[in-house]
Amino acid sequence: MFIARFLARRLAQGALIVFLVSALIFTLLRVVPGDPVRLMAGGMAPEALIEEIATNMGLRDPIYVQFGRYVGGILHGDLGQSFVRPANGAAVGGASFNDSTRSERAEVWSLIAETAPMTLQLALLAMVFALIIAIPIGVWGGLRPGRFPDRLALYTSSLFVSLPNFWLGIVLALLLSVKLQLVPAIGYNGFAYTILPAFVLAIEIAPFIIRTLTVSVAGVMGQSFIDIAAVRGLTRNQIIFRHALKNSSVPLLNLLGVQFSMLLGGVLVIEFIFDYPGLGLLTINAVMQRDFPLIQGIAIVTAAAFVLINIVVDLCATAIDPRLEY
Amino acid sequence: MDRRNFLRYGAMAGAAAGALRLNPDFLFSSAHAQESKPLVFLSAENITGNWDPTAHTTLSQTNIEGFVMGFLTRAPMRPDNPDEVIYELATEINELDAHRLEIKLREGVTFHDGEPFTAKDVKATFEYGAQLDRPKQVYPGPTDTFEVTTPDDYTVVVDTTKGGYGASLFIFLASYLPMLSAKDVAAGPNGPLSQRLNGTGPFKFVEQRGNDTVMEAYADYFRGAPKIPGVTFSFVGDATTRMLSLMNGQADVIERLEPEQVQTLEGNEDIKLSRLVSVENKYLWFRCSKPPFDNPLLRKAAAHAIDRSIILEIMGTAGEASSNFVSPIKFGYTDLENYPEYDPDECQRLLAEAGYPGGEGLPELEYITSTGFYPKTKEYGEVITALLQEQGFPVTLNVMEVAAWNERLYDRPGGGPGHMVDCGWSTGSPEPDLVLRTHFHSTSKRICGIEDPEIDAALDAERNASSLDERRESLQTNLMPMLAEKVPALSLFTSVLIHGMRSDVEDLFIYPDGMSDASETTLS
Repeated sequence: MFIARFLARRLAQGALIVFLVSALIFTLLRVVPGDPVRLMAGGMAPEALIEEIATNMGLRDPIYVQFGRYVGGILHGDLGQSFVRPANGAAVGGASFNDSTRSERAEVWSLIAETAPMTLQLALLAMVFALIIAIPIGVWGGLRPGRFPDRLALYTSSLFVSLPNFWLGIVLALLLSVKLQLVPAIGYNGFAYTILPAFVLAIEIAPFIIRTLTVSVAGVMGQSFIDIAAVRGLTRNQIIFRHALKNSSVPLLNLLGVQFSMLLGGVLVIEFIFDYPGLGLLTINAVMQRDFPLIQGIAIVTAAAFVLINIVVDLCATAIDPRLEY
Repeated sequence: MDRRNFLRYGAMAGAAAGALRLNPDFLFSSAHAQESKPLVFLSAENITGNWDPTAHTTLSQTNIEGFVMGFLTRAPMRPDNPDEVIYELATEINELDAHRLEIKLREGVTFHDGEPFTAKDVKATFEYGAQLDRPKQVYPGPTDTFEVTTPDDYTVVVDTTKGGYGASLFIFLASYLPMLSAKDVAAGPNGPLSQRLNGTGPFKFVEQRGNDTVMEAYADYFRGAPKIPGVTFSFVGDATTRMLSLMNGQADVIERLEPEQVQTLEGNEDIKLSRLVSVENKYLWFRCSKPPFDNPLLRKAAAHAIDRSIILEIMGTAGEASSNFVSPIKFGYTDLENYPEYDPDECQRLLAEAGYPGGEGLPELEYITSTGFYPKTKEYGEVITALLQEQGFPVTLNVMEVAAWNERLYDRPGGGPGHMVDCGWSTGSPEPDLVLRTHFHSTSKRICGIEDPEIDAALDAERNASSLDERRESLQTNLMPMLAEKVPALSLFTSVLIHGMRSDVEDLFIYPDGMSDASETTLS
């Protein structure tokens, strides 16, 4: 019963958030400079034709009318068609205004469905790498607050957080791919192509995990039930793994949820640098081409993913600590 | 169901769903260990998605056509011999008289769909490519100004009597327009032409896979099957990404290297560089269709304010001097004696004569440029702005991302946005008319919007010349000096095409328009 009530409430809240995000994105796209019809039709298209196309597409209707039509489409499971991309999904530039392939534009949902798994793979691997890097450093630092491991955790976090990801991406590509030829770096032709961009993202995320773990482990280890556990005869390892880490995992879980959501929606720079064909690269090209339906579709999907991930995180947190109320 | 069970079953369902779509390439597939691999070419520009070669003027797609399509002739456009044409699908081109050209065709050539290449394909291509509604319309005029006849399957006669201009124009156009199949052309622009490329070239178009255009060797190519199994032509927008791909061996050829990248790669023994004076000039286009640059005195004053030697310094290896409105490798190029040079005194004199002494009274001027498409536009744009401001032009530089700049690029009724625009123009033929008429004839006026009966007359005069020699003279003594006097645009420099390639790429011939001939290429 709790599950049904919880899901109903959170999904309703989530739907409201997604609706507000889509309304905001929809409105902003229509007030920023850059006429998408000019880009679709080509620079040489006459003004009269531009207006004709825009009118036929409903782009000269009031924004609320356009938005109503768009929401109606979404309710029928239709995110619309890309303004510029053909069905084969290539990132294309402007063709002629009487381009006969204009009617064969790609479905927004198809473009997102093709690229989202790539970003999901990248984000998951980045999380795994980040945890591998952060857990030993963070836990070690939390177990010895104020001493060298704690300082090491702080310095490592400071160093990692100071490295710009575009710079690190290029340097690691030069070192690991060009010089040492260990992994491929550019594009995607198999799982190996995910390793380097995921590692760069992991370096970006790791500082937050390290700091969260250091603080929460240190906090838990200072509590009285840890002292009692020692009196009960538990070994230090048992205390750490059974009690300290479990109790530290709730704040970590919340952080991971937020970080994972951000990865799904915001890996723009890394995907651009590594030419990784995921949602980030799709977003960059969509913005550059004023591809309104695609930008809106990506925004809605990532907002929905954010909502769902947070619901799952909260569920996991209550599973770990039943005292929590959401 | 409690929370733990809900999570447990949810996780199991998720894992099952993930397993169903497990990527078969999940395990490592090294980019460095492929045998007999296709040539990987990384492009800086995306394609249009419509494969009709007459439907676009996009350079990257033209480069793809270079691998797949056949041409009557090819023009290597070497600086020491810009007029040279090499026969490909044509074996002879004879000027029968001033208005008639006879083209003899190679026999035994087939398109990739198996159809034989004959004179009817040439006739269909010329007539289709000359239609006014084709964005890459072939000059010199629409279909009713010339007639193509086919005395036999391998002879074509082009007669331009009805248009009144010289048939010799078609000699250079023959190396610009890829030969289409008459069957495809008959289906119109909504037919198979727009869906795929069908040529007679060394590589067959296979598919568009995301940003990768996949081509495979054509076993029946008339010069013999290519030595490499295929070509993968991919759009990679970031210059650094392209360079890294070349350095780590994922790419074999990359284009549009920036000067700094040239310095980085010069010492790398695994990589070699190709530097070619290109068919593209970069221009500062004045909006001639609205004040104040509807006044030629003011345009000339602005031209005299700009020191092009500084721009060349900024461009480094990526720019070459040009004192004309076309590249030095185009037919008819000459260093114009009256081309506006940096001369502040002359600038001030012209400003005063135009009624704006020292720039006083001029409206605020907007100079539009892009960043991320051409090299160094922002850097030299700032220099041009400073030089103009020094002479009293109240200029503001507006640096835009490519889509926004592209939206504002072309002339519109009443004048396009801004007052000056930076843009290059490039066509893959020695034919200068493809640049000059496109931009400066009042029927076209792409960017500058100029409408000037004298320039129109000069353009028509060179087009109507009865032989190439007469055309050269008309261009060099009439049209080009006139353009230097009226300055509808200032040509800043000629772009240099710089390609980087792996040192094991042998016998890849790159044309000055960016097209490549990989029919003899090997990868060791």
